[in-house]
Amino acid sequence: MRAVARGDDQPSAPRPGALETLLDRVSRGDQDAFDGVYTAVAGSVLGLVRRVLRDPAQSEEVAQEVLIEVWRSAARFDPRQGSAMAWIMTVAHRRAVDRVRSAQASTAREHKAAARDHRPAFDEVSEQVERRLEREQVRRCLEQLTALQRESVTLAYYRGYTYRETADLLDTALGTVKTRLRDGLIRLRDCLGVTS
Amino acid sequence: MTTVDLHTLTGAYALDALPEAEEREFAGHLEACEACAREVAELRETAARLALAVAEVPPTALRSRVMAAIPEVRQLPPRARQDTVRPLRARGWRQRMPYLAAAACLVGAAVAGGVAVNAEHEADQARAHTARAEQQAAQVQSVLAAPDATVRTAALKGGGTGTVVASKQLGRTAFLYSDLPALPGSHVYELWYSRNGTMVPAGLVASGSTSGSTVLAGAPAGAAGVGVTVEPHGGSPRPTTAPVLLVPLS
Repeated sequence: MRAVARGDDQPSAPRPGALETLLDRVSRGDQDAFDGVYTAVAGSVLGLVRRVLRDPAQSEEVAQEVLIEVWRSAARFDPRQGSAMAWIMTVAHRRAVDRVRSAQASTAREHKAAARDHRPAFDEVSEQVERRLEREQVRRCLEQLTALQRESVTLAYYRGYTYRETADLLDTALGTVKTRLRDGLIRLRDCLGVTS
Repeated sequence: MTTVDLHTLTGAYALDALPEAEEREFAGHLEACEACAREVAELRETAARLALAVAEVPPTALRSRVMAAIPEVRQLPPRARQDTVRPLRARGWRQRMPYLAAAACLVGAAVAGGVAVNAEHEADQARAHTARAEQQAAQVQSVLAAPDATVRTAALKGGGTGTVVASKQLGRTAFLYSDLPALPGSHVYELWYSRNGTMVPAGLVASGSTSGSTVLAGAPAGAAGVGVTVEPHGGSPRPTTAPVLLVPLS
């Protein structure tokens, strides 16, 4: 089974449906299949969590929790509701955001200060990234958004901010940010050719 | 909030950018709005692409830790069929977990550090054990997430901490406990509602469990407080010992 996830030319990009197939086997306790899932998603899980949390040790800890959660609840994945990758990233983002928000009260100020210096996330993408193509495509599509759409989406997703915090940072009306999050994502969706 | 207003929240919802109360409201809306649910699913797919674009090479130690951990982690059974029929319903517990975590953190602020982690961890373990325990945990979470929930924490006589979370709106009370002194197998912790000066049985803490959570039998309406006593195995119809915990409900 490792051939499915690792043996081909793009180790971290299994063919469409491969991740779903692996996950199905994981749900039946197949640890080898889980190894394949790990290979396919661990880099993205860690990268995303780290975007949100920043702290490397805490990020690894949360990424570990997320990956174990994938093992634990693989049987709960429902392919009718979306791809396995989206399911896993939803779990990862949620965990990271929860970690930030539970710790937020005490650090709200510095958090905010840090964010003001923040440049759009795609500019700080690590050189270690494996998915060059993916990255290029996402960058290209992000560039097609308006500045406000792009900033709203990246602050909310990569920083884990609520739309209120995002509006505050961007000094923009709440309603505007809500709308930009939606139409920004819709434009991204169309640009990336995402279907569900 | 109008339906049109709500519909514009699909983006914020897909990015976990809604504050808790609005997130709950929107999740309720999703159950009735198929178009919104479909849009959220698509926007989540889109967001996942943003995650792929920031992938890193994980340290090999992470793989070792995860692979070493999973043989000891019990897997959840598939969800009962009726729960998976409606779109996004299956998000259920996964999305509600955050409320437990957040509410438990709130609780944790008032008690010894680590309670939140324990409560979550224990809820996790309970959920993994049986479908019944899972339902129980979901009920605890729903109480913690209720907008009118009142939270009271107190130390038990003899050790440990108890937190009573009551929602009159839901008609439910949850009891979160940590570090309860272990009892001999012949005894259990029993929960009580105090009604009109009488202690009414409200269920037992799972035998042998020293940290975790449970939902009381019966609604909090009309009860003046919640009590805990140590009773012979199987519980008693009325308390046979002095309460180790008494918390007012108001």
